[in-house]
Amino acid sequence: MDGKEFQYIKDMKYEYNADDGLAYASPVRGVWNIVHIGTLVPGGHQIFVCPTSCLRGVVLTTAEMGRMDKLSTITVGEDNIIEGNMEEQLLHGTERIIEELPERPKMIMVFISCIHHFLAVNYQRIYKILRKEYPDIDFIDAYMNPIMRRTAPVVPVLWRQMTRPFNKPESWKKDQVNYLGNCFTYGPEYCDLTALLNKNGIKTLEANNVKTYDEYMSMQDSEVNFVFHNTGEKAAKDLEIRNNVKWLRMHPGYDYDVLEKDLCEAAELVGIEAPSKEWFENERKLTDDAIAETKALLGDTAVALDYTAVDFPLELAEFLLSRGFNVEAVFVDAITESQERFDRLKRMKPELKMYGTIGWNIRQMDRMHDGKIVCIGQKSAYFMDSNNFVNVIENAGMCGFSGIRHLMELIREAYNEEKPMRELVSIKGWGCSCV
Amino acid sequence: MKDYQTHVFTSTYTADVSGVCSAMYELGGMSIIHDPSGCNSTYSTHDEPRWFDGKSLMFISGLDEMTAVLGDDEVIIKNVTAAAADLKPKFITLCGGSIPHIIAFDFKGTAHLIEKRCGVPVLPVATDGLKSYISGVGMAFTEWIKRFADEKTTKSSALSVNLMGVTPLDFSINGNVEKMKETFEKAGIKVNCCAAMGESFENMQKLYAAHVNVVVSSAGRRPARFMEKTNGIPRVEGLPVGADETEKLMAAIKEAAESGKNQIVYDESLEHEDWEIPGDGILVIGEEVFALSLADAINCLPESERHGLKAYAIWPDIDEGLPEEQLMKAVKSSKIVIADPLYKVIPRDKAIRFIDFPHEAYSGRIYRKQIPVFATDEFDVAGFIK
Repeated sequence: MDGKEFQYIKDMKYEYNADDGLAYASPVRGVWNIVHIGTLVPGGHQIFVCPTSCLRGVVLTTAEMGRMDKLSTITVGEDNIIEGNMEEQLLHGTERIIEELPERPKMIMVFISCIHHFLAVNYQRIYKILRKEYPDIDFIDAYMNPIMRRTAPVVPVLWRQMTRPFNKPESWKKDQVNYLGNCFTYGPEYCDLTALLNKNGIKTLEANNVKTYDEYMSMQDSEVNFVFHNTGEKAAKDLEIRNNVKWLRMHPGYDYDVLEKDLCEAAELVGIEAPSKEWFENERKLTDDAIAETKALLGDTAVALDYTAVDFPLELAEFLLSRGFNVEAVFVDAITESQERFDRLKRMKPELKMYGTIGWNIRQMDRMHDGKIVCIGQKSAYFMDSNNFVNVIENAGMCGFSGIRHLMELIREAYNEEKPMRELVSIKGWGCSCV
Repeated sequence: MKDYQTHVFTSTYTADVSGVCSAMYELGGMSIIHDPSGCNSTYSTHDEPRWFDGKSLMFISGLDEMTAVLGDDEVIIKNVTAAAADLKPKFITLCGGSIPHIIAFDFKGTAHLIEKRCGVPVLPVATDGLKSYISGVGMAFTEWIKRFADEKTTKSSALSVNLMGVTPLDFSINGNVEKMKETFEKAGIKVNCCAAMGESFENMQKLYAAHVNVVVSSAGRRPARFMEKTNGIPRVEGLPVGADETEKLMAAIKEAAESGKNQIVYDESLEHEDWEIPGDGILVIGEEVFALSLADAINCLPESERHGLKAYAIWPDIDEGLPEEQLMKAVKSSKIVIADPLYKVIPRDKAIRFIDFPHEAYSGRIYRKQIPVFATDEFDVAGFIK
């Protein structure tokens, strides 16, 4: 290859969320897909209704998790297309599944696919019938329709649909709040907000930490929702409109001022006292120390990072560069951060290599790096062929000062210890609590 | 009426699009799946064991709503042309999922336009994402042969065969293919081409040099039929699973070469009618040629070595898959079941013995390490079911 697999940032034009078209899929998926997310609901069952080629991925993802008990399928065949009987197939198939399952599900998510939109299938009619027939089951209309990815991306839509059974309670439970859209639990150890809430006697509920369907449904009693990723915003907006639930978007980034502002706003929203000035000063110092320790260990060792590990790869790159780290490459498929940040990064390190992991030219690149490189994320580790990597996806529950300190700890660990990269990055849906 | 579509418990076989990519993987081409998304990551994570280390080319077109509604084929034509200019593949294969199928995407016309623009041969393979890999592998090989195989190649002097339908989806990458070739060579039959694992583009062009096509997977039936029609090459259906089956297969190849007539190695009475099988036997579930060959090999054993039972085979229909209710009935009425471990999810009596036989086209990479080397005369059938 002649270096077409990457561009120096100095040669790039800022383009927000560009869609590449023809796409390559590396063997490393990194982030979770809709099956992993749907499997989180305790007592829930998923039915995917789609052609074989679309079913295969979701079925094997579930099988790989060892959770085939949480999934059934209805294949769309040529007969359905010609005879126009998809509604009947969907209805009778779902009825058979319910009757044959050893345990009655509390919630059923019925995923229809791209083909249903093009054939104008009246699926809402079927859900209406099913809800009448099985009043003890919550039926969720869910979607696996990547053809609509520009207007209705599947993951945020699923997080929203999963909260559709939530109704407005008669009174709010003041001792709990919800986190929406998180694959990983944001615990008190590495998330400042959770620590602050817990300290004030408020528990945090999220799809990945509830144990029963009743507990899952008790999330409807929370007066405040917090969102850490873009993927949770649709759910929060929907609950605000339907149930008047207040919500706040947290920014799991690296700008101390923003972290401070977020925490104070969150405290105000919940009605608790914000942390003191001294507390923030101490946190800043502890975090600076952790960063300095990490920088001292790594020295000029090259660093690469990717979008599967953190939500704001450009912000992390800027942050690390500003602290003296030798950030050499960023792997990002679509830029979803501001042009100001992009331009700043361009000025800070014009020779920063920007890799798109789904572009066709990356397929034939030589996956290697001259000398040691510490990678933050599975995709960068794969493409740089590095065993020194931070094995996290989607922030892995890290947010705030304690989150940054934990990330530094993981970077130091990655520098000191090699991991079996091939084995680890091949796992689809790393860290899924359902496995 | 049978319900082929609802699967309460069981998995699904890999689809035609993955079959196309798997078949073309080693031939130096670039495969394009015309589809919104998803099929490529399924292929690269579950269906293609060679993906992690290799550099073969397979991409998805990333079809979106507006492009589909407007029928704007220019998008894929431009993108594929640009990728071909960068990557310089020997040829391009264009297949598609269900959306191109329902919007009547013109595979042949688009292939022609891409070829005209970039000068690289383009094979149109009009898959629809609704069928199994058997269909995709067969269609892709047939198109490849039509376009690239040299029909005028001189026949080899010694008896030689092509192994048709060979992909990791049926044979994995655990040494099965190498052992299978060795089995033929040991029997004095030269393997002209193994279509298509371990073969170069140039070797594959000499497919017509063989005297007989051996359909070792039903995926090879379609191209073998095509070669029979165009060149009169007879086909033999069978797989060398163990010593007895190998002996029968080699005899059938010689017979086919002499008589020019097609041969089927396994006992055809084992083929099920309407998914009904007699109960109280050994049930083999898998790809058609494999399942029938293994059942046949078991039945060749003395009664004492097969627990006094007769073996039967069930395999998925190419268009419809397996009807789960009938499949469950067959499993529940059998004494021993030999199948992919994912079939264990079928609720059954504990008295039924289940022997794991992982199949890449069913469970993907999950049980890859447990797939036995079975396509050889050395495979101990009696020991396997002991």
